[in-house]
Amino acid sequence: MAQLKASPACSTRATAPSFHTTGHLYHHFWKAKPSSFKELGLRTSVGANKLQVIKAAARSDTEVVSETTKAGGLRGKLNKVVLAYSGGLDTSVIVPWLRENYGCEVVCFTADVGQGIKELEGLEQKAKASGACQLVVKDLKEEFVKDYIFPCLRAGAVYERKYLLGTSMARPVIAKAMVDVAKEVGADAVSHGCTGKGNDQVRFELTFFALNPKLNVVAPWREWDITGREDAIEYAKKHSIPVPVTKKSIYSRDRNLWHLSHEGDILEDPSNEPKKDMYMMSVDPEDAPDQAEYVEIGLESGLPVSVNGKSLSPASLLAELNEIGGRHGIGRIDMVENRLVGMKSRGVYETPGGTILFAAARELESLTLDRETIQVKDSLALKYAELVYAGRWFDPLRESMDAFMQKITETTTGSVTLKLYKGSVTVTSRTSPFSLYREDISSFESGQIYDQADAAGFIRLYGLPVRVRAMLEQGI
Amino acid sequence: MTQLKASPASACSSLAIAPSFHHASITTGHLLRHQFSKAKPLSLKELGLKTSVGANKLQGEIVLSQLQQFTGVIKAAARIDTEVVSETTKGGGLRGKLNKVVLAYSGGLDTSVIVPWLRENYGCEVVCFTADVGQGIKELDGLEAKAKASGACQLVVKDLKEEFVREYIFPCLRAGAVYERKYLLGTSMARPVIAKAMVDVAKEVGADAVSHGCTGKGNDQVRFELTFFALNPKLNVVAPWREWDITGREDAIEYAKKHNIPVPVTKKSIYSRDRNLWHLSHEGDILEDPANEPKKDMYMMSVDAEDAPDEAEYVEIEIESGLPVSVNGKRLSPATLLTELNEIGGRHGIGRIDMVENRLVGMKSRGVYETPGGTILFAAARELEFLTLDRETIQVKDSLALKYAELVYAGRWFDPLRESMDAFMQKITETTTGSVTLKLYKGSVTVTSRKSPFSLYRQDISSFESGQIYDQADAAGFIRLYGLPMRVRAMLEQGI
Repeated sequence: MAQLKASPACSTRATAPSFHTTGHLYHHFWKAKPSSFKELGLRTSVGANKLQVIKAAARSDTEVVSETTKAGGLRGKLNKVVLAYSGGLDTSVIVPWLRENYGCEVVCFTADVGQGIKELEGLEQKAKASGACQLVVKDLKEEFVKDYIFPCLRAGAVYERKYLLGTSMARPVIAKAMVDVAKEVGADAVSHGCTGKGNDQVRFELTFFALNPKLNVVAPWREWDITGREDAIEYAKKHSIPVPVTKKSIYSRDRNLWHLSHEGDILEDPSNEPKKDMYMMSVDPEDAPDQAEYVEIGLESGLPVSVNGKSLSPASLLAELNEIGGRHGIGRIDMVENRLVGMKSRGVYETPGGTILFAAARELESLTLDRETIQVKDSLALKYAELVYAGRWFDPLRESMDAFMQKITETTTGSVTLKLYKGSVTVTSRTSPFSLYREDISSFESGQIYDQADAAGFIRLYGLPVRVRAMLEQGI
Repeated sequence: MTQLKASPASACSSLAIAPSFHHASITTGHLLRHQFSKAKPLSLKELGLKTSVGANKLQGEIVLSQLQQFTGVIKAAARIDTEVVSETTKGGGLRGKLNKVVLAYSGGLDTSVIVPWLRENYGCEVVCFTADVGQGIKELDGLEAKAKASGACQLVVKDLKEEFVREYIFPCLRAGAVYERKYLLGTSMARPVIAKAMVDVAKEVGADAVSHGCTGKGNDQVRFELTFFALNPKLNVVAPWREWDITGREDAIEYAKKHNIPVPVTKKSIYSRDRNLWHLSHEGDILEDPANEPKKDMYMMSVDAEDAPDEAEYVEIEIESGLPVSVNGKRLSPATLLTELNEIGGRHGIGRIDMVENRLVGMKSRGVYETPGGTILFAAARELEFLTLDRETIQVKDSLALKYAELVYAGRWFDPLRESMDAFMQKITETTTGSVTLKLYKGSVTVTSRKSPFSLYRQDISSFESGQIYDQADAAGFIRLYGLPMRVRAMLEQGI
């Protein structure tokens, strides 16, 4: 497996207002500052060039901000806050900032969703050094795969034709755990380090709203004056907070058991091709083995249960496939996507194990589901993906669509063998005890079930409207 | 309740024979060989033209001259069908091979003739089966005597009214299933419950086949047979109308006389009707021309709006998890609740539906339906959902309801696709609990009150005042981001 470089759980971006469609909401605007205004409307990445767009956006936003700017209404009223903590620069700075500005205790929380062992090293020490009263770590890998990834896989949920929802699925499991931890430690608020430009703020906060509408939410990036990495480092020094000694990465990354995402730097220009050395979970197809590898996936009722005949737990199964897929260059996805908050963004994803699983489930369904069922299921999958992307995991609508998916995939049991070769996945075999494919029907011979003479009647009635319309046009 | 006039509740319209097709997936179930009628010039002439029970027999030439715009249609259809029929005509492959057949029996002329015809042509015993789905007590009078007189070895009657409402009507109501904007699926829902019972009866009496009196031009043949296929793919199916030489009412009467079968003494109705607890359908006669308005005396379940009371009546419907449980505070069983609403709705002229629909077998047909109680229930469920479901959920639910209705109409009740969509509907309506009060007045239904403990409507949010949950200042951020793509597009167009 590729060695991971450290990266913060959320992208480092300039702050911007966000919107919320439901629940208990305290909205915070950051204090006016001329240099900050200029950066509104444009994501600030280390080294990004300023563009003309800045001026137009700043002009309009100046007027609006001056009308609605206000300080956080919760300041001085919070007792204890649970912070989603990665140990990176941003979240290390948020700890003292919360203590300084809200006068509260800070409990750091880190969810292990498979971001890698290095990401979890020395976290407790880092948290304490930043001023946290404690660090809570929970291993959520099995829950993440079983209760979040697998339902999306069963539904066939893919966002905007390509994105396999890696970050979208991880946020609700983390946010849910934060609500649980807040209850356990008696906290009256939760906080996250997401910027106002991303989707994750919505995913975190909609989950908080759905699970505990009384919980207060603090989102420093939408409130504070810190504008970027240099500001954060300066703040840390001023408050004697150790700056994490990590290799400075030019990309913004997020990793979990399902995927690794890359954003920023040259990727911000969609006319640029990613550089070879950016990738971490998968090898270049050009460098993959010259020999194909075959992998057999066993599924039961729409969910994977085994790899090459070996039964594995959800998380272990996925880890195994990530390794197999990664060495064959499987699962690279490069796309420009529409974010929930309205902008377009460029992202490159590596989802090796997930790509294999999606192919397996899709191929098995072609045996077990009839034409019309596939049409309805695929139509619902589009909506399902949209809801997950929008952070509506705990919405009754997604839950009800999941009830449909669970029911319709009862017969999606069997096995699929896939050929992995230099970045591509091809199906080579599929079997199912519930297969609706019958060789005695498909073959050229006539049989008892399919009587070829029936086609005459079928065609005459299937084509009746066509004939009536043609007769009308021809005045017959 | 309005006193109903008796009419033969033939399970299907009496239509001239024509080949049919089955929408079932070819990969499932046992599909019987297709039966074609023997070639006969008169039959061919009538292909494409519906003959109604009691309609005057018109000479083909007269019909052609009166329906000049369709002259070519008939000739072309007949011409093509002659060629096809001559290629594929064959006798029923099951003749002489069946031991006992369960027949869907109404006691009308058609099904009374089918009994001896089956015995004569298939050499089998015939068990008549009648399902009580609320077609009315008169329809069930003296059935056993009639069946025996026709040659059946026995008659089985099952009261399926509660099952029909609870297991078939209510799921459709909860789903909001309406076909082609208007049709509340009254006949479509009744056929699977009848067909399922036939499969059960076939097992009980040891029958190896089932038979129905549906013509090859209607939807019901599909609904019956897809249900048979889904529940017992080994069961044989006999559909006389797609096989025999009998072309209409006069032929049937002649056959009955020849075989000493008592011809049912029923008032000759010019319409073809089907009734159950949910609805009464009317087809045929002047309705066959969609340019005609139905006549006042055709209706049976509802009074004319003009004749309804000048005073409105208010009715309160209570619903729990998407299903109705009480009327005006009185808790009732599913069938009783519907019966009560049919009576209330009928006296106010509620629920008349006049439409031209696309049949599964490809043609367009004209039908008029009376669904008084069902119309009230649909209004109640819809109004309550406005309180309990958010915008996007309503959009998805309504989208699925279109598909759900299509599947039910197509006879796919036992398809896993409908069952899975029902799993969605059951889940999403968990919070659709509360009560709705409706005003019934001269044919119209209006909502006057709705309440629910799960209401997402909150006056403290909707009202003009600001509050803790809805902070008006939030709208600034919402609008800026909701409108971001719009602004970017405008900036692009203006070269900014």
